Amino acid sequence: MKSDRGDIELAGVCKSFDGATYVVDGVNLKIADGAYCCFIGPSGCGKTTILRMIAGHEDPTAGEIVIGGQNVVGLAPVQRRTAMMFQSYALFPHLTVRENIAFALRVRGMSKADRLRAADAMIEKVRLTQFADRLPAQLSGGQQQRVALARAAITEPRVLLLDEPLSALDEQLRVQMRQELRRMQQELGITFIHVTHTQLEAIALADLVVVMEQGKIKQAGAARDVYAHPHDRYVAEFMGGQNVLSGRVEKVNGASFTLAQAAPDGIEVPLQAHSTVSVGDKVDIAVRRDDVALVRPGKDLPPGCTTSLPSRVRAIEYQGYFVKVMLDTVPDDEFVAYVPEKTFFADPFTVGDVVMATWATGSALPLA
Amino acid sequence: MSAVLADMPETVAPATTKAIAPSRGQRPWTFYVLAMLFAFYVLALYGPMFCIYVLSFQDIRGGLVFPMKGHSLHWFVDLFTQVRTGDVKGSFDRSIKLAVIVTIITVVVSFLAGLGFRKRFRGDTIVFYMMIGSLVAPGLVLGLGTGLLFQALGLNASWYTSALGAQLSWTLPFGVLVMFAVMSRFNHVWEEAAYDLGASRWQSIRLVMIPVLAPGLVAVALFGFTLSYDEFARSLQTAGSLNTLPLEIWSMTLNVTSPSLYALGTVTTVVSFVVIGASLGSIVLIQKKRSSSAKG
Amino acid sequence: MQPSSSPAQTPPRANLAGWLYVLPLVLVLVPFFVAPILVVLAASFFATDGFGGLTPGFTLASYVEVLHSALTLKLYLATIKFTVLTWIFTLIIGFFVAYFLVFHVRNQLLAIGLFLLCTVPFWTSNIIRMISWIPLLGKEGLINQALLAMGVIRQPLEVLLFSDLAVVIAYVHQLTIFMIVPIFNSMARIDKKLIEAAIDAGASRFDIMRLIVVPMSKSGIALGTIFVVSIVMGDFFVVKVMSGGGSASVVSAFYEDVGVLQYPTAAASAVLLTLVLVAIVSLILRTVDIRQEITR
Repeated sequence: MKSDRGDIELAGVCKSFDGATYVVDGVNLKIADGAYCCFIGPSGCGKTTILRMIAGHEDPTAGEIVIGGQNVVGLAPVQRRTAMMFQSYALFPHLTVRENIAFALRVRGMSKADRLRAADAMIEKVRLTQFADRLPAQLSGGQQQRVALARAAITEPRVLLLDEPLSALDEQLRVQMRQELRRMQQELGITFIHVTHTQLEAIALADLVVVMEQGKIKQAGAARDVYAHPHDRYVAEFMGGQNVLSGRVEKVNGASFTLAQAAPDGIEVPLQAHSTVSVGDKVDIAVRRDDVALVRPGKDLPPGCTTSLPSRVRAIEYQGYFVKVMLDTVPDDEFVAYVPEKTFFADPFTVGDVVMATWATGSALPLA
Repeated sequence: MSAVLADMPETVAPATTKAIAPSRGQRPWTFYVLAMLFAFYVLALYGPMFCIYVLSFQDIRGGLVFPMKGHSLHWFVDLFTQVRTGDVKGSFDRSIKLAVIVTIITVVVSFLAGLGFRKRFRGDTIVFYMMIGSLVAPGLVLGLGTGLLFQALGLNASWYTSALGAQLSWTLPFGVLVMFAVMSRFNHVWEEAAYDLGASRWQSIRLVMIPVLAPGLVAVALFGFTLSYDEFARSLQTAGSLNTLPLEIWSMTLNVTSPSLYALGTVTTVVSFVVIGASLGSIVLIQKKRSSSAKG
Repeated sequence: MQPSSSPAQTPPRANLAGWLYVLPLVLVLVPFFVAPILVVLAASFFATDGFGGLTPGFTLASYVEVLHSALTLKLYLATIKFTVLTWIFTLIIGFFVAYFLVFHVRNQLLAIGLFLLCTVPFWTSNIIRMISWIPLLGKEGLINQALLAMGVIRQPLEVLLFSDLAVVIAYVHQLTIFMIVPIFNSMARIDKKLIEAAIDAGASRFDIMRLIVVPMSKSGIALGTIFVVSIVMGDFFVVKVMSGGGSASVVSAFYEDVGVLQYPTAAASAVLLTLVLVAIVSLILRTVDIRQEITR
């Protein structure tokens, strides 16, 4: 019995090309049917290899890939009912838009009239009707992407796999096509798995963000979870928007502990629900850049702030709706405050100013 | 020549002009020197050939050198009717047939080998160097070896057996090398996309690879045909009792001292040019069809 | 990028697939390249009755004969002379023609057109191109006629045709193309921005030539050299025809030996020549990874 469900389960999936090093190293993951899932990580982290294993272009060295309750390892892409949209699209250069889209039907032996009718319907869906007789080389990047999407979608897959689908486009088009991808996903109602190295793309699109490093999943969860509550230093730094500080635990007092730092009274950090720390432990904490407030020395700290770190302004970048202020708070790491534009220009700093960096105690997040 | 370049005074080129190939403005003096060299090369390349084409149209008084003595097709008629010029028609016939067979085999075998060499496999280097060896080995020696081999096996050497094989040992390495260049332009993702869309191995070759690579395959065919059609050293000991055209020309260079020889040169070159023209023409046609703007 | 794995770790299935694809190629090369070479090698150890009959056995007599003959040294010297002269001229002309096309012709379409113009004769008969020098270089040829008319010489020059000069001219005429194509290919791959960057850094035209163009065309030069050297060393008919029988090379002597049925000595000299050729080619191959060069 074939299932129409596009839920995916990866169980202990490993991949090694040379038998010695693992590109994908024991990945376990469940992706719900109809989810939009983004794999994100630096190049070489194994995200594309996972995608290719789900697609059936690569066999796992170990582990199971289950789609709709069925282990698909060893099956051809068509049998898996997956379809892939390749990076830079891989449109057939000698075939027109219509012939490209009808290709899957052609190899299935569908009659010419039938497959062209089906292709035309799909062409309309992606709004390419006036380009149906063009060759890929005569299309813009955005149009090519829509052809690629249509060519993959016409196979009626239960999972669509997208390998860096937006990387070939320029900035403006990227935002536009991002919305289009989301719209298509909702319209088709199938699982999308999207590989990217752009954080913004991942958190804007995904129901499930999977952060990877060196063949392992570092964190998987909803976009907001991953961005606002990173598990560890790696995820915090990779997703961005966080300052990461490290230090030794000086004392533990009930619901919080104090981290020794170059601050008069150390840094107070609330203790998470089921975690324990003891004095002397080395601990990383994260503070969102937009949670950091800057106060001139001698002025009162905003309410709820118990920690303040004396810093000097190293550089200032105007970003439009906020101002990025770079500080020398931590000796070797960057420490940045995103100050709302209006707040900043009410009392602007200049490079070299001494400020107190502070934040509401509750917003400091201990990392694993 | 390199001394000329060495003595070049250092040119102080303004930042906006390119010293070697300025896209605008004054051309460097090296352009004119090299353009003259190029013109001289092309002249030396084609000039002598045109001399014999012209001389082949002399009348019955004609000799092997200029000046032209009259104009007629006498030597062409002579070529195909006289006994002393040998069996030109028959050898011409054989050469064309042989070249067609060699072309077909070369295209198919080179294409398959090109597919095979895209991935490393155990022993691929041996096959590769065997091919290079076959390319650089002295043709006459290989031909003799083939001839002796056939003799030892009690087989009769003939143009469609031993000479065919000997020619393939020459055209295939060329064909495969050209195929390498052609394949390097084929993005393997197209194949993967075809597989992803459900195409079988054969469907992906037939519907994607062959059409995409068509211009390259025509180029391989051109190599196969012309290299076989003009092949001489390897055929010499392997063609058996019936000559191919180059062998006929060879024996004529040794015996015939009339413009018949030039007439034969003209005829065989015309055939070559027709084949080259047809090949290049069809390549251009394929490319053009592919880049032409929207139809209908 | 496809993750590339070394052949040793290729799964057996991929090895099998690779071999299946190159099987037809191997099926041609084994009987028509490997076997003939082995036959020649075997024949070089056989004894002969002097009338073409071979007695299987193992004797080094043929090698002794070949190595002791003063003629052998003369033949090798002549062959090396022709090879070196041809190599130098084809390299210089080929390099600068390619350089002109890549770096001096601004219009890329024109450059490709001119490149094709250079390659067309490659697809025509070598013999015809060789004999086409007769009406030019002969005693009553165009060049002598012109020189006489201009009063530069009183007597027609005899050295033009049927001389070593004519042999080298014919070789250069035929083989420059083998230099142009690979050098053109490697030069065309040089990023023009590299040269602009060098100019910005204050490099003179000679510096650019010495530090960028020549090193980056090295593989093309190596490839062209392999072609030219192996063809000249393996040739016999240019030497035979253009020298008018006055000069001989190793292979033309081989041809004469075969003509008088001296198979073992011919085979022995062929084996020695092949060894020399293999040594030269592998020396060149050490400087360039030809396979990577061709397949990329």
